[in-house]
Amino acid sequence: MRLVKEPGSARSGFRDWYMQRLSAVVLAVLLPLPFVVLILVYAGVVDQFGLLDIVDHFVSRLLHTILIFALIIHAYMGLKVMIEDYVPAISWRVTLIGGMLVMMSGFGIWWMAIIWAWGG
Amino acid sequence: MNDVSRVKPRPLSPRLSIYRWQSTMIASVVHRASGLVLVLFVPLYLWLLHGMTGSPEDFVQVQSWLHSGLGKLSLWVAGVALFFHYCNGLRFLSIDAGWFEQRRMLRLSARIILGMTIFVAVILGMLL
Repeated sequence: MRLVKEPGSARSGFRDWYMQRLSAVVLAVLLPLPFVVLILVYAGVVDQFGLLDIVDHFVSRLLHTILIFALIIHAYMGLKVMIEDYVPAISWRVTLIGGMLVMMSGFGIWWMAIIWAWGG
Repeated sequence: MNDVSRVKPRPLSPRLSIYRWQSTMIASVVHRASGLVLVLFVPLYLWLLHGMTGSPEDFVQVQSWLHSGLGKLSLWVAGVALFFHYCNGLRFLSIDAGWFEQRRMLRLSARIILGMTIFVAVILGMLL
């Protein structure tokens, strides 16, 4: 593969590009689901028991977990490209990307803890 | 790696100030902006999820927050951003797959999606 002048932190470029698309396909299938549930709760169509029935289900937990992984990969790749485009100073880039990774890992762990803790 | 002193005089790649504003460019910029909005929505979604699956009092509290002005605004912003990012994301995927690659189709599809987003923004604003 021909080396580009400024490959950023992606090294090969293709892998990041591919992961961004792969996670996008997963999100395209899964992401509308929680938003629909949120709107149903907002509209009063689903009450708390209904909501717990939905989110407590093993399949929901599994799908939610896949969603979290795809979301973190997609958001990380997307924000990283934005930081690399608009932040020229390498010290700031490293700080921002590193901080972003820590934040996303933290939220990912917290999210997983919430999901798998339901119903004991 | 970059040598900052050497790189400095060169422009940053997506220089918003020099490109001519056209539908494909606007779609690309809005895709990034809406992506950023959606990332910021994730902690809020977690808080909502945490509250809604907690005690019945937490559920009532989250419900009343969602129906407050700030809650409605958050739902509206996230909904509109999700709609655009979703549709434009599918557009990007189809372009990568080799569909709608002609310049005319790139512009037309960007305009259609931007138009649909404005429509959805109005409808969602009336419904919420």
